[in-house]
Amino acid sequence: MAYTPQYGPGKSIVAENRRKQMNPSVKLEKIRNVTDEDIVMILGHRAPGQAYPSAHPPLAEQGEPDCPIRKIVTPTEGAKAGDRVRYIQFADSMYNAPSQPYQRTYTECYRYRGIDPGTLSGRQIVETRERDLEKISADLINTNLFDPARVGIRGATVHGHSLRLAEDGMMFDMLQRCVLEGGSVKYVKDQIGVPLDRKVDVGKPMDDAWLKANTTMFHSLVGTAFRDDAEYVEYVQRIHSLRTKYGFMPVE
Amino acid sequence: MAKIERAQKLFLKALKEKFEGDVQATKTSFYHFDGLNQSPRKKEFMAAAKKVELRRGISMYDPNRCHLGGLPMGQRQLMTYEVSGTGTFVEGDDLHFVNNPAMQQMWDDIRRTIIVGMDLAHNTLQKRLGKEITPETISEYLHILNHAMPGAAVVQEHMVETHPSVVDDCYCKVFTGDAELADSIEKQFVLDVDKLFPAKQAEELKAAVGKQLWQAIHIPTIVSRTCDGGTTSRWSAMQIGMSFITAYRMCAGEAAVADLSYAAKHAGVIQMGSHLPARRARGPNEPGGILFGHFGDMVQANRKYPNDPAKATLEVVGAGAMLFDQIWLGSYMSGGVGFTQYATAAYTDNILDEYTYYGMDYIKDKYKVDAKNPSAKDKVKPTQEIVNDIATEVTLNGMEQYEQFPTAMEDHFGGSQRAAVLAAASGISTAIATANSNAGLNGWYLSMLLHKEGWSRLGFFGYDLQDQCGSTNSLSVRPDEGCIGEFRGPNYPNYAMNVGHQGEYAAIVASSHYGRGDGFCLSPLIKITFADPSLQFDFSEPRKEFAKGAIREFVPAGERSLLMPAR
Repeated sequence: MAYTPQYGPGKSIVAENRRKQMNPSVKLEKIRNVTDEDIVMILGHRAPGQAYPSAHPPLAEQGEPDCPIRKIVTPTEGAKAGDRVRYIQFADSMYNAPSQPYQRTYTECYRYRGIDPGTLSGRQIVETRERDLEKISADLINTNLFDPARVGIRGATVHGHSLRLAEDGMMFDMLQRCVLEGGSVKYVKDQIGVPLDRKVDVGKPMDDAWLKANTTMFHSLVGTAFRDDAEYVEYVQRIHSLRTKYGFMPVE
Repeated sequence: MAKIERAQKLFLKALKEKFEGDVQATKTSFYHFDGLNQSPRKKEFMAAAKKVELRRGISMYDPNRCHLGGLPMGQRQLMTYEVSGTGTFVEGDDLHFVNNPAMQQMWDDIRRTIIVGMDLAHNTLQKRLGKEITPETISEYLHILNHAMPGAAVVQEHMVETHPSVVDDCYCKVFTGDAELADSIEKQFVLDVDKLFPAKQAEELKAAVGKQLWQAIHIPTIVSRTCDGGTTSRWSAMQIGMSFITAYRMCAGEAAVADLSYAAKHAGVIQMGSHLPARRARGPNEPGGILFGHFGDMVQANRKYPNDPAKATLEVVGAGAMLFDQIWLGSYMSGGVGFTQYATAAYTDNILDEYTYYGMDYIKDKYKVDAKNPSAKDKVKPTQEIVNDIATEVTLNGMEQYEQFPTAMEDHFGGSQRAAVLAAASGISTAIATANSNAGLNGWYLSMLLHKEGWSRLGFFGYDLQDQCGSTNSLSVRPDEGCIGEFRGPNYPNYAMNVGHQGEYAAIVASSHYGRGDGFCLSPLIKITFADPSLQFDFSEPRKEFAKGAIREFVPAGERSLLMPAR
C-alpha cells in the first residue's frame, strides 16, 4: 500500500498553511525576484562569477566503487560536480513570519533532495552542495516562505526571533545585516555579517494582513491561538499517549 | 482542559522593572542603548580588566574589540533579573557561579557532606572489645571528632594541623529517631528532628530512622575544593577512626580498627552522589551522581513552607538549575559560560512561578486538589487522560502568557528557556495533583510536544532531542530505559546531555512528595542532614541565598584570605 502523506492535522489557517508549504504538489507562490547573483552575495560562500570550489573530483572522474546504494540514489548536480557542502540559515520572527524552524525543515525534507537541515528555536539551517544550495535558496527567498522584515538570513548571532519588533516592523538583528530603506529591505552585509560591496534589495515587507493569513505559527495575540485548533491539540495528545503506552508495555 | 481566570500575574513587577514602556506592546526600539555602557557590571568588568592587564602585562576582557569584531553586546536593552520569590534584582553576570559565592557554597555544602552510621562501630566496640557505650561516651567521642574532623591530631605526637579559622565550617552532628537517645546526647551535637521539622514531617522522619544513630558530617569546604567529592568519605573516615581510638582508648593498630574503618568508609556510609561510570570520570559525591529524589531531600523549602508545595518545588528548580545546569553540565561536562543564560530563566522574574501557580489554581478548580493543604487524600489517579488534561492546560496557558506579554517572550528569548519553563510548570502541576513523579515527567514530555507543534520550534539543536523521545521512557521502568522518578538522576541515560532539564526533573520528583506533605522524598537521612541551621548555605531558601550572593552579601566558607597578604 502506497503511503500518502497527510502533512499534519488541524482545521485552522495555520494548519492549512503548514500543509501547503510541506506538500510538494502545491507550488510555492513566487512573490519576489532576487537575482541569482544577489543570492550568491547574501550567502557569502563564493564571489559572484567565481567557479564553484570543489571538495572532491567530479563523481564521473573519481571512479565510484561498485555500491548498490549508489545505483539507487541519483546524485544531485552539486554532488556530481564535487561541490563543497555549504549552508543558508534563517531566523524567523515569532510575529507571524511565514515559515518557522520545524516547518522549514519539514518543508525542505518534502521538497528537496540531498539536504541536511538543522532545527533550533531561533534559527534553522540547511546544508547541501553549493550549487544545489543556491537553487534551493532562490526558492526559500523568492516565494511565500520568506518575508524581508520578519525573516532574517543569518549565519551567526541570530538573536531576534522572540524579541518585540522594531517600530518599523523589522525583526531585531544586532548586526543589522539588512535595513529598511525607501520601503524596501536591503542587505548591507552577507549572512555571516561581512559588509557587501553593494546593497542587495530583497523587496518590500509583506503587510500584516498577509503575514497573519500566511503564517505557520500559532499565536494568540497576533494570529491564531493554538488552543482554538482543537483537532491539532488532540492529535498531539494522541501521539503522546500512544508513545507513553508503548514505552510502558511494548507490545503490538 | 478549560482555561481558568487568574488575575494575578507574578511576573508583571519584574517585566515593568526590566523593560521601558508598555509590557504588552509588540514593538520597541533598538540600537540606541550605548552598548555595554548600559550595564554597571559590564563597566566594572572593563575597568577591572584594565587593572589586571597593567599588573600582569597580558591582555584580557576587551569586549569592544573582541565581541563580533568590534560590535559589543547591548544593541538591545541589557536586562537585569529579579531572582524569583525574592524581590531582589541582580545583573545576569552575578548569577554565573564564578561571580556568586552562594552558588559555590551550595555545591560545596553538598560535596563536603557525608552521612555515616554509628551503629556498626558501636557493635564492634561493644561486642568485640567489650567497651561500654553510653550517651556520655558518645558525647565525648563527638567532642573529639569535632576537634579532629577539621584537621587536628588526636593520637600522634608532633603532627601538623589545620588553622581553625580556615576550616571553621567543618563539624559533625548526630541524629536519631529515638527521642530518648537524642535527648541524652549533648545538645550542641544533635540535629533535633522535632524542632527542625513540622510535626507530621518529624513523625515520619523519626519513624523512618528508628533507633539508628547517624553522623551528619561536613568536612572543610577548602578540602573538598582542593580535592574532589570522593575525598569526603576518606577524610571523614580517617578522622572518625582516630577519634574512636582516642575516645575509647583503643590500640591504634589492633585489627578491630579495620572494622571501624570499613564501617566509616563503606558499610555505614551514605554518599550524596553515587560513583559515575568511566566515561563521566567522576567519583562519588559529584553532581552527576545525585539522585533526583535525594536532591528533593537536600532542598529544605518544604520544611519551611509546608503549606506551599509550589514554592518549595520552585526552590528545587532554582537549586537544581544552578547545580545541574550551571555547574554540572555547564562546567564539569561542557565548559564556557552559556549555560547560565539558559538555566537562570527557570528561577528569575517569577515567570515559572506564575505558570506553576496557574497550575495550582487549575488543579484546585477542576480536581479539587488543594495545594495549600498538602495531603495524600485529595490526590487524583494518574490516568493518561488526567495527565494530558493538566499538562495541556498549563502549557497552553504558559504559551498564551508569553504571547500576550511580548516582554515575557523577550525576557526568555531562547526557545530552550521557554521549553524548560513551560514543561516544568506542566510537570510540577501534574506531579502535585497526582503525587506521582512519573506522571509528572509524562506531563513534561506532553508539554514539549505541544510546544513544538504550537510554535514550530522548541529548544536548540541538542536541547530537545531527549524531549522528542521522552514520552516513551517516562513510564518505562526497564533497565537502561527507565526508572521511577526518584531514582533517576543527571546520569540517567536520556537525561545526561543537556541544559534546562535536570533541575526541573528533580523538582517534578520532589513536588510529587511535597504535594502530599511527605517528610521526605527518598532518604530521611539526607532530609535531616540538610535541615541543619549550622550549614553555611541555607537549603530552605536557595533562591534567596543566590540573590544574596549576587548582591555580594553572602559570606562563604573556606576563604584563604587569612593565609595571604591583603590585596
